[in-house]
Amino acid sequence: MGFLENKARARLFYKYLSQVYDTINPFIWNDEMRDEALSWLAVGEGDRVLDVGSGTGFATEGLLEYTDEVYCLDQSIHQMEKAFAKFGKHSNVKFHRGDAERLPFADNSFDHLWSSGSIEYWPNPVDALEEFRRVTKPGGRVLVVGPDYPNSVLMQKLADAIMLFYDESEADRMFTEAGYDEFEHHIQQASQGSPKAITTVAAVPEE
Amino acid sequence: MKESLMEIIRCPIDKHELELAVEDREDGEIMAGMLSCPECGETYPIEDGIPNLLPPDMRDDAAA
Repeated sequence: MGFLENKARARLFYKYLSQVYDTINPFIWNDEMRDEALSWLAVGEGDRVLDVGSGTGFATEGLLEYTDEVYCLDQSIHQMEKAFAKFGKHSNVKFHRGDAERLPFADNSFDHLWSSGSIEYWPNPVDALEEFRRVTKPGGRVLVVGPDYPNSVLMQKLADAIMLFYDESEADRMFTEAGYDEFEHHIQQASQGSPKAITTVAAVPEE
Repeated sequence: MKESLMEIIRCPIDKHELELAVEDREDGEIMAGMLSCPECGETYPIEDGIPNLLPPDMRDDAAA
């Protein structure tokens, strides 16, 4: 059980994290890594995309290079306020507060779905991945960026204590359990020695 | 939020379509109002133009 699996604690954690997030984030997940991942999602112009755990809007900014139809969902209003400042509160970008594991959208609402830096905080990642499959159209793509499981024992202990980290075999298990049969993992790293990200691109199966 | 959003937003709990009661509208943007689920009776506020579709146990005022 991770520290943030209690949702009330997660809310409090985010409230403080949002103060420094865009400052510390580039060391782990930078523009180059984001843009590479965006090329795998391959969003077309006019496609409707949901950004789950949109936070301060770092990925949203990249998604807007591909399409104007970006829908943001985050549980934290404090994180989202940073995104309002970037894009305007009532611009093209549509903001919603909600839970990744219980998405407030109809089936097949989106052409593609993106979620970066969010899965490590979900208590039940498979539930969220199932929800992603439900709201994304068959044939669409779901892309999830999470932290790769660290190699050193000390880092593993720290990782397990505060949040979810997973390796490729664990990612295989989660995506299979959530009903995907076609997906691939990419390990991304800003520079040697910096924490690795694991990025999964999954195809939403035809019903 | 824009009223056109009603086409895709649903109750996070039972995925039923929601009903909209507008309290304040500015330039085509719904600034305040209430979304309610006719199926389970749960309500979701529109706060400062942003629909709060968090399930009740995750709202700011939920007990820790």
